[in-house]
Amino acid sequence: MLASFPPMNLVTIIWSMAASACLTLALLHLFIWLRRRQAWASLWFFVSATGTCLLALDELWMMQSQTVAQYTLAIRWLHPPAFLVIVALVGFVRVYLRAGRPWLAWTVFGVRSLSLVLNFILTPNLNYRSITALHQVPFFGDYVSVAEGVPSPWMLVGQFSFVLWVIFVADASVTVWRRGDRRRAVMLGGSIVFFALAGSVYAVLTLWKIIDAPVMASLLYLGVILSMAYELSIETAGAYKTGQDLQKSEHRLELVAEAAQLGVWIRELSTDEIWASDKWRSLFGFSNSEPLNFRQMIQRLHPNDRDDLDRVIDKAIEETGSYEKEYRVMRSDAEIRWISSHGQIELNDRGKPVRVLGLSMDITQRKVAELEAQQQRQELAHLSRVTMLGELSGSMAHELNQPLTAILSNAQAAQRFLAQDNVDLNEVGEILADIVDQDHRAGEVIRRLRLLLKEGEVQQLPVDVNDVLEDGLKLIWNDLVNKGVALVPVLAPALPVVLGDRVQLQQVLVNLVMNACDAMVDNTLVDRRIVVSTELFDGQGVLCSVSDLGPGIPAEKLEQVFEPFFTTKNHGLGLGLSVSSSIIKAHGGRLWASNNTERGTSFRFTLPVRNGQTT
Amino acid sequence: MSNIPETIFIVDDDPAVLNGLSRLLRSAGLNVQTFLSPEEFLSHHDPQAPGCLILDVSMPGLNGLELQEALKNGGSTIPIIFLTGHGTVPASVQAMKRGALDFLAKPVDEKDLLDAIMLAFEKDRVTRLNRAELEEIQRRLNTLTPREREVLTHIVSGQLNKQIAFDLGTVEKTIKVHRARVLEKMKVHSVAELVHLYERAGLGTTD
Repeated sequence: MLASFPPMNLVTIIWSMAASACLTLALLHLFIWLRRRQAWASLWFFVSATGTCLLALDELWMMQSQTVAQYTLAIRWLHPPAFLVIVALVGFVRVYLRAGRPWLAWTVFGVRSLSLVLNFILTPNLNYRSITALHQVPFFGDYVSVAEGVPSPWMLVGQFSFVLWVIFVADASVTVWRRGDRRRAVMLGGSIVFFALAGSVYAVLTLWKIIDAPVMASLLYLGVILSMAYELSIETAGAYKTGQDLQKSEHRLELVAEAAQLGVWIRELSTDEIWASDKWRSLFGFSNSEPLNFRQMIQRLHPNDRDDLDRVIDKAIEETGSYEKEYRVMRSDAEIRWISSHGQIELNDRGKPVRVLGLSMDITQRKVAELEAQQQRQELAHLSRVTMLGELSGSMAHELNQPLTAILSNAQAAQRFLAQDNVDLNEVGEILADIVDQDHRAGEVIRRLRLLLKEGEVQQLPVDVNDVLEDGLKLIWNDLVNKGVALVPVLAPALPVVLGDRVQLQQVLVNLVMNACDAMVDNTLVDRRIVVSTELFDGQGVLCSVSDLGPGIPAEKLEQVFEPFFTTKNHGLGLGLSVSSSIIKAHGGRLWASNNTERGTSFRFTLPVRNGQTT
Repeated sequence: MSNIPETIFIVDDDPAVLNGLSRLLRSAGLNVQTFLSPEEFLSHHDPQAPGCLILDVSMPGLNGLELQEALKNGGSTIPIIFLTGHGTVPASVQAMKRGALDFLAKPVDEKDLLDAIMLAFEKDRVTRLNRAELEEIQRRLNTLTPREREVLTHIVSGQLNKQIAFDLGTVEKTIKVHRARVLEKMKVHSVAELVHLYERAGLGTTD
């Protein structure tokens, strides 16, 4: 039985092994590429290894050809694998080393394609004008076939592509070397250049009949393939380690997130599908297994918050790259929870947003406490406003009585003028104009009064601080006159506009001025003066101060005065300064007291210009 | 335009109120002068001019009560009607104590205001008449010689000529002449009239 098989010679063994080694590596990287489509280096490797494998098989075919016709056909089919090896290696260098001149790469491709075309046009092939006979030469203890014939000058086209190819790789290696990645330049670039050069030179020598030996380029190309494979395996090992580390840190992150009660989620932008941790699902009231998408998640939001979140996310995707947002979630059990969410946009290699990663946290408790505190503050503010109004009522009555007096007198005068024989219509016209003016004036007083009394949400509108102060001072002007207090406004011009609530700021001002008045009760009439001033603060905010000429505040009480229910007056509630302080805090500023160097006390507060604000 | 000799002076720091009141009073045929501050009024005020003053209580600088004080110290007798936006009790008590004629709350109705003004005019007129009378008596008194004054005090205390002559160490006949001269100079016809004048002038009672 055994005798019917020819004995396996060494040449067959070596070339078959080379081919199968190449094929194994090729398939390995094909799988890698199929799993990770971005791994273009693996694809190029697969093509060049496959080419080398085919090259080896073709060479074996040539060496074992028994007829000229067989040999001629084998030579012709040597060219497609060679084309694959050369072109794929160019691609590999471009992708993996990120080096090599593109025009050179295209030239290699062009010339090699040309030789491939010529190979199939010319008879019998690119290398020979004619093959006349085969003769056997000893090789690795065996005899293999070598052609006799006339080499074709067209062969130079193919060999020219070899030269360009080697130059391309050498040039790319120099670039990599210069970039500082010397190991790769030597290991990969150097070995490719060496083996490619050796393989090509040997091919030239045999084909031009300078040495009488069979073509065996594939063995040398195998060297190239092995050095590429080595290089890729280092990277794969590195990637594996990175992957493991990543998994570990992901696991740690999950633990941390769990401990911090954070819900983790990832949203794929292409499909809008959401992957989310169990914690996140419970926050939003989803079960642990149901598939999720962005639309479902939005449906769980409070209707008033949906558009807002959409807008914030769109903005993050287009500009900022991340977002932070607080919103309400209505779970299926009709319970409202406050969620704070932080999202980060992830981009792909080309800078295109592909997914959003995020953390969400239940902040309901904090939010409820905040809202309660805010409500309490508003109630307190209202209470202190009502108290203040009691103090102001005299002033307000005067403010209203002035225009009312003017109106009544004018109207009654008009009645009398009209009852006379010669009616002076000009006079009556002037009277009516005055009545209209005074009516507006009274209306303005009522408007200010209503604003001050109004209990409502704090407004955050752009306000001109000087304007607010002047308006506030009008409210108490008459009161100051009655108390014999001179008021000196020193308002800096062209102050920046700040965000704030007019009424609340006026409340603070009125409060500070009234306190200043009370502080000077014991002063003589000519010695009661309050200076209200504004100035630029910190380059972009506003600093206001109210200074009196009173006895001052003992140093140990300078802070205490801001505590609720601290009062020195018999009739005071002790809320004015504490409410004023919280109002200024809510405006992002600070209210403090200090004694003047000569005498009296100054209360100062700052109103910073806050982010997202334009002047 | 008016045959009423009195002028109403109004002092208020609010031009609109000043205008309105001024128009109202002019429409009632009264003479009006307006001032925006107590200081302005003081610098123009002629104590001889008949009339009354309408004064706002709360004004910057000198307030209404302080102006009242200043006028009183200066010997002015002009009647004052106070106007107030918020008639605080202490201020009105103080004003009335110092002789304010009335204290009206803003906004003031024409009837109340005109009534108060008429009352003020009446009071001013009486004051002026009284003062004129006193001045006349004083002038007549000034025409007496020291001796005649002496005789006068004795006459008004009800002494007879004989007693006076005895007290002054002279004869009854001389006193008789003095008595006739006193009655003539004081432009009275009887001792009863003389006593009345004497009391009007506040020189003393006959008790």
